[in-house]
Amino acid sequence: MLLGASILTIVYLVGAAVHENYGAQWSGVQHQYREILREKAKDDRGRELLAKFRIELKQVSLPALGTVDRCVTCHNGIDDPRMTDVALPHRVHPEGILDIHPVDRFGCTVCHHGQGPATTFRDAKADDAYWDYPLLPPEMTEATCATCHDAEKLPSAQVPLLLTGMRLYQEKSCGSCHKLNGRGGALGPVLDSEGAKTRHQFTMSNLQPPHTIWRWQEAHFRDPGAVMAGSQMRNPTVTRQEALALTVYMLSLWKRDVPESYLAPDKIEQKYRSLHPAPLSGEQIYGQYCAACHGNGTYSRWDKTFKRFIPAIRGVSLISTATPEYLASNIQHGRPGTQMPAWDQHAGGLLPEEITAVIKYLRADAPAAEKLPALTLAGDSTRGLALFLRNCAGCHGMDGRGGIAPEIGNPVFQKAATDEFIVRTVRSGRQGTAMPAFQSPDAPALSDQDVADVLAYVRTFGQPKREKALAQNLAPASGGKP
Amino acid sequence: MATATQEFIRNLHELPHTVKDAWFRLGKAPESEREESQATFHNLFLHIHSVRVHVRTLSPTLTFGLGLMAAGTFLITVITGLLLMVYYKPSTDLAYQSIKDIHFTVYTGRFIRNIHRWAAQLMVLTVLLHMARVFFTGSYKKPREFNWLVGLGLLVMTLALSFTGYLLPWDQLAYWAITIGSNIANSPRELTDAIGVTRWMDPGGFQKRLLLGANYVGQDALIRFYVLHVFLLPLALVTLLGVHFWRIRKDGGLARPEDPMGGPAEWGGARRAVFEPIATKTYGLMALVKGKRPTVNRGPENTVMSWPHLFWAELAVFMVTVATTLVLSFYWDAPLKELANPAIPENPAKAPWYFLGIQELVSYSAFTGGLLIPVIVVVGLALIPFLDRKTGGEGTWFGTPGEGSVFRSSLLFAVLVTVGMLVFTVNFGWLRSWFPDIHQLWIIIFNPGSLLVLIFAAWSLIVLKRRDSVRLAAVSLFTCFVVGFTILTYFATVHRGPNWHFYWWPSQWPVH
Repeated sequence: MLLGASILTIVYLVGAAVHENYGAQWSGVQHQYREILREKAKDDRGRELLAKFRIELKQVSLPALGTVDRCVTCHNGIDDPRMTDVALPHRVHPEGILDIHPVDRFGCTVCHHGQGPATTFRDAKADDAYWDYPLLPPEMTEATCATCHDAEKLPSAQVPLLLTGMRLYQEKSCGSCHKLNGRGGALGPVLDSEGAKTRHQFTMSNLQPPHTIWRWQEAHFRDPGAVMAGSQMRNPTVTRQEALALTVYMLSLWKRDVPESYLAPDKIEQKYRSLHPAPLSGEQIYGQYCAACHGNGTYSRWDKTFKRFIPAIRGVSLISTATPEYLASNIQHGRPGTQMPAWDQHAGGLLPEEITAVIKYLRADAPAAEKLPALTLAGDSTRGLALFLRNCAGCHGMDGRGGIAPEIGNPVFQKAATDEFIVRTVRSGRQGTAMPAFQSPDAPALSDQDVADVLAYVRTFGQPKREKALAQNLAPASGGKP
Repeated sequence: MATATQEFIRNLHELPHTVKDAWFRLGKAPESEREESQATFHNLFLHIHSVRVHVRTLSPTLTFGLGLMAAGTFLITVITGLLLMVYYKPSTDLAYQSIKDIHFTVYTGRFIRNIHRWAAQLMVLTVLLHMARVFFTGSYKKPREFNWLVGLGLLVMTLALSFTGYLLPWDQLAYWAITIGSNIANSPRELTDAIGVTRWMDPGGFQKRLLLGANYVGQDALIRFYVLHVFLLPLALVTLLGVHFWRIRKDGGLARPEDPMGGPAEWGGARRAVFEPIATKTYGLMALVKGKRPTVNRGPENTVMSWPHLFWAELAVFMVTVATTLVLSFYWDAPLKELANPAIPENPAKAPWYFLGIQELVSYSAFTGGLLIPVIVVVGLALIPFLDRKTGGEGTWFGTPGEGSVFRSSLLFAVLVTVGMLVFTVNFGWLRSWFPDIHQLWIIIFNPGSLLVLIFAAWSLIVLKRRDSVRLAAVSLFTCFVVGFTILTYFATVHRGPNWHFYWWPSQWPVH
């Protein structure tokens, strides 16, 4: 037993020593590279490089960036312009990028990600190792340009996917649900640090391995529900290439702490601009922050995901009836309890002038409101209740809680809508929606008195519960307090 | 008369011999028993052993060398630990990177770290097995009660050493395991919360802050764990280990059955001389040790020389330990996950494996599982030699009559009860699932963990009553403890997944 154990011990100790001395991947790579250097040592400079070359671990340690990159242990020819005709890992870095990003100042992982301290390729790639940011696939590496550059100021050929992704983000109206730089809706996650997320923050169950973040993102853009069961995100309907572009854009969203000396001047300007945004036009605002739900705004629709009615906010009859104040109130405060978020500066992040601009945009094509005789009759809310139940509750829901039509019991609506607005809507209906006119000249379904009664009832929604019950004489007859 | 110069030159000439003689004082392999005993007691490290050792204690199946293995793994962790200390930096900013450096760039660093890790795991395992061996061979009995207590202290030290070492890499595994561990320290708060006195009396919070130096796992915790791991605990453990070894000698060597009195004994086919006490002589002065052993009233009839018999055996056991550690370390790397990230909890966040049984109990009730039951177990283990005073059967596996059958029936009983309890809990939940508004105090008092302890205690009392033997009652209780510990540890390791839900296999865990 002693003999066996001792022999085993010696075998494994020697094995470990041999493994350590001769088994290292990088040492083989460096021996190959030395041969390459020898072949290419045709001039003084080449001979000098050959003479200086040592078989040893090499690293670029950059405390300012918090990186230690040992990639150069194997990628020895990374900044040697002669190494164009040799195989990886000896080859020179393509496209002359290192001319302006010298390795000894930038290292590797700040752009490429991956496990810098590693000394084997498998560990450096780190896509199944315990490392937060594995090596990015080459086509996605442009995502990290945004760490130090304003992508829009870069030559478009260098960051094609990133720019496409940014454009698609606006075109697909992602901001309707997602916040970025403090602007956007509240339905989806905030995307400011999307690129900084690690794979443990994603549910990978429905994804075939390898479980990388970019594969998740890409699959998610192709079909959100397939990756995240129960996802409420609308399918953005993108091509494979567009999904890739959006993925790259997501990977670029990372407020990485990089010393200012590393930032391009345009990045500093971009940071300043994001704190002091220039107001967008009404059309841009509508396209980026409203269109995902409201479409072009001329039709109303039933949203299957949210089980909600989405009104036609650019419909002729609404726009001709609604006052700018009414629209402003709805946009600023949203509709609490529905999917419509508040958009004022402290919530959705729209500037006051942008809200004005978008209202102007909504009302751009509005015809002048047709003149209707004013309604001066006093209404009886009890009678109004009966009329409401018969004519309105089918769509607007009991108590105006909404159903397949807007929530007219909503406090913001109650506050913002004038009597005239409600009366006019009841009388003339809403073209292009299911809301009929209840007082068309040919066949008035409701008399003026009926309309006044309905208005009186609708107004009870805005009152506190107890007053409402008293007003309708529905306070419990027995047992309740007077 | 030689001059001093000549003497100097002659000394110089003989230098190789004299240096060799200084090191190898005997100058050759010992041949006679006298030389063998000299070899033993002229060497600091060997003189811990007695010169002669009883043949029974050399039987491999008596001890399986477990205690020596535990000591061996400790020696390995000390040596590799010192090497790791050269490169390790106990700072939250640098710790992780320094482990990466050890892994990737330090020459054989990865191997050394693996050895350290595996030796530590083996140490916990062998210490636990060693304790079971000592119990089931009845070796804690009088006069070895005190050494049993020392051993228990060593168990606690071992667990503490392993636990404090867990945090040092500062990766996700470390961070969240220690978060769980320190919350177990915080568990009395469940009781104080339930009775509403946390504001005035918060022992749980105190324990946690004492351990972490803060309310969270941060730099303060790291430096505390580091100091404990590399200085205080090893020092304490070495001290206790010295006492532990010393007590073995003072208590008369390893526990073994009494040799028959008088008459020539026959061992190894040879009749051996028996020491007959002479009536006119006093042996009291020689009785430097407790009891009758090793030599008073006893001849050296059943003993053999420690050199070479014992030393070869010990060396073999030690080399087996080293070889096992090396093989494991060569093929399986010590884990190192992502850099610790307080914002992204591991799910499931699991404590080190030897605490997973406790974590399973904690999932029922933090106070009961995290404090009450462990304290009951440790106190119970400590009391064993003081409640079971009857001697006899020492040094033999299941030595007293009926132990084997009690062991087997207790094994079956404990397996059935523990598995049944787990199956029930997983399938039907517990009080909180049935009465959502129940007061937490009820759950603290009555939960699967406390029920398990009660059932085991009741079983042991039944054995006490039926078999009319304290030793048998102790055997039944200890068996139940071993089974409970093993099954709970296994269950929490394999069958508990994210959110501490039940899964048949870790491959079924939802991927995050």
